[in-house]
Amino acid sequence: MKETLMGNEAIALALIHSNVDMISGYPGTPSSEILASYQKFKTKFNIDAYSEWATNEKVGFEVAYAGAIAGRTTCATMKQVGLNVASDALMSAAYIGLNGAMLLVSADDPGFYSSQTEQDSRSFAKFAKIPVLDPSTPQEAYDMVKLGIEISKKFETITMLRPVMRVCHAREICEVDDEVNFNPSKGEFKRDIQRWAAVPPAGRFKQGLEQFERLEKIKEYNWEELILPKVKKLKGSKILCITSGTAYGYTKEALIEQNIDADILKFDMPYPLPKEKIEVLFKEYEKVIIFEETYPCIEEQLSSPKLHGKLTNDVHKIDEFSKDKVLAALSNIGLLDKSSFYKSEKYANELPVRPPNLCPGCPHRDVYYAVMKVFKKKKSIYPSDIGCYTLGLNQGAIDTVLCMGGSVSMASGFSLADPSKTTVATLGDSTFLHSGVAPLINAVYQKHKFILLILDNSTTAMTGRQTTPERSSPELIDIKKIVEGCGIECHEYVYTPKIEKTLEFMKHLKKKYEEADGPVVAVIREFCVLDKERAPSMLPGVFATVDEEKCVACDICTTQYKCPPMHYNENEKIEIDPFLCIGCSACIDTLCPTDAFVKREN
Amino acid sequence: MKYQVVIAGIGGQGAVFLVKVLALASKLKDQKCLATENHGMSQRGGSVSCFVKIGEFYSPAMDENQANLLIALEENEGLRNIQYLNKEKGTLIVNADETFPKIEHKAIKIDAFKRAKEGAFPIQSLNVYMLGITLACDQNFPFSVDEIEDAIRSMNAKMADKNIEVLHLAINDAKDLEK
Repeated sequence: MKETLMGNEAIALALIHSNVDMISGYPGTPSSEILASYQKFKTKFNIDAYSEWATNEKVGFEVAYAGAIAGRTTCATMKQVGLNVASDALMSAAYIGLNGAMLLVSADDPGFYSSQTEQDSRSFAKFAKIPVLDPSTPQEAYDMVKLGIEISKKFETITMLRPVMRVCHAREICEVDDEVNFNPSKGEFKRDIQRWAAVPPAGRFKQGLEQFERLEKIKEYNWEELILPKVKKLKGSKILCITSGTAYGYTKEALIEQNIDADILKFDMPYPLPKEKIEVLFKEYEKVIIFEETYPCIEEQLSSPKLHGKLTNDVHKIDEFSKDKVLAALSNIGLLDKSSFYKSEKYANELPVRPPNLCPGCPHRDVYYAVMKVFKKKKSIYPSDIGCYTLGLNQGAIDTVLCMGGSVSMASGFSLADPSKTTVATLGDSTFLHSGVAPLINAVYQKHKFILLILDNSTTAMTGRQTTPERSSPELIDIKKIVEGCGIECHEYVYTPKIEKTLEFMKHLKKKYEEADGPVVAVIREFCVLDKERAPSMLPGVFATVDEEKCVACDICTTQYKCPPMHYNENEKIEIDPFLCIGCSACIDTLCPTDAFVKREN
Repeated sequence: MKYQVVIAGIGGQGAVFLVKVLALASKLKDQKCLATENHGMSQRGGSVSCFVKIGEFYSPAMDENQANLLIALEENEGLRNIQYLNKEKGTLIVNADETFPKIEHKAIKIDAFKRAKEGAFPIQSLNVYMLGITLACDQNFPFSVDEIEDAIRSMNAKMADKNIEVLHLAINDAKDLEK
């Protein structure tokens, strides 16, 4: 049956077709729609399965891994930086193995579209010594989920699927199973203390040896089942292009379109590779060049004087691939006279930049505006975190961004290192629950003096508004109680679009900070304007316009507040784009020193 | 057949919706299709550029000078992505007024913001309106009005009628355009 699917939907559907009935993970672009789509399919096909967002990637991984120890077929999903969080569990699990099956999906982001790093999860799989599959399209992602589950079962190891953004957020007409015959394996934990609780040194040493044996078997499987059928189809040119994942698509298209005679050998499983067997193939070729995204994962496993790639400086080392980059590399190794085939000119004149911005009406904007008014730029340090609110950068209200939960521990560090300034840290509700609690406990017991603002919009907004623990079970999980449980008072402010109220609250916190000898924590109860359930009742529907007589073009709104509908018109007065204004009313009253923002009638 | 499309706009304008429509229209026509879209950070009012490649392709991403068609939901986003449009055979369909600069490529301008302000259609349907202009003005566009209508219906039957109404409004508006 043919279905038009986004890569992440194809992965989710294949999980169902592979009888995966336990799936957990944490949202992160480009991986988020995998678990969300699984939940949709679960409802559609009326399937009884566990599919929940975990509080962080490590938790999600461990839930799924325990399921696989107990014989179930499971999956954990995350983005590549999420794998860093889950890596502690992964490294040990890779030694121990499993009884059922587990697919670890770690989605990479070549080109830094939505990520802090461009790290390659394939290299992480190599580090952990687990097999990894690298799809080039949604169809392959679908097929490789099934293959990955099979490999996991066969070799009793976690298997990684590494789709990149151009697979996760690609769309393709895919051939998928006609029917859902959902038949998951029953869970049964079988006690085996030597295995599941292996202790160092002897227990883990033994498992380390087993891991090497397992890898040899997987290499053999990789050769026989995945590589050899492709080797038989090679036509015999002077040049061999070795590739995996999306790099294959760029290579194949470039060679066809430019009529270049070269063989392409695509590895579905770029680790572990049967090195010796592959290197024998090189005899028939003059040159071998490796195209892969983004680290030299394949290249580091092979060696030959004929080999060209990132390590020989012939292939680019950072950023997303393109056909032109394939051809530039072929030119570098002397195969082509010119290095550019697809170039065209960008528009010559300067275009207004359009950086991502907080949505019109977003409560974060008012909070950052008030923070900057009360705590000032020169007298404070502003660590922040990973989420929509990182866009407070546009208001000059953020000094550092590191990783999930990093704002809290960094606030500790800054307060110790430069106590003459007030450190004001910001992070969201989901990020706080992900990894903000442990550093808060640290700050409380060590009496680190800073201000922490938890911006609670009751959703994981940036990644598509996934449900948070507090939203799902408000009677059980309350951020205020969690902060109190850490041993300190939690100040609470319920956001309203009246900026003077938000300013008043910040002044109140400043006073509390002056009296404090430890962290001052506040939870600000907000909402997300894209949240269809909560936003309509929170937004007053009072739209703003500008009284041009009063506007003196002072720039305060365009530099300190930065709401997207506000811009200068041809009269050099501020104007509000009626299509963008969401009717929050926040700019009316306090913001403009000359009161130029007024209510728009009708 | 090989036909490559760039859809450029601002986060929230519904560029991804158009990707879905073209992918579904390809499926209904039994054509291969590989497309790619922006999510996450790029969607917060930032620039969005999506690619749709219909026919025998292996990668969803686009290199420069390749596109047969660039649908620009906003004029600056059209200019920002102009390098993708093929100089000889490419057509730009752009939401812009008369001040839009002269470029080397074939360009069809329509002031869709003005029509929305006049109340001709809700601003949320600007994407569908621009698709209607494309249907009317790009002679090489690989889909017929009926095929696009079927694709829209197969996505969301409830919303389909309103979208199809806007599609036809655009086709009608396009009669007055210089092609």
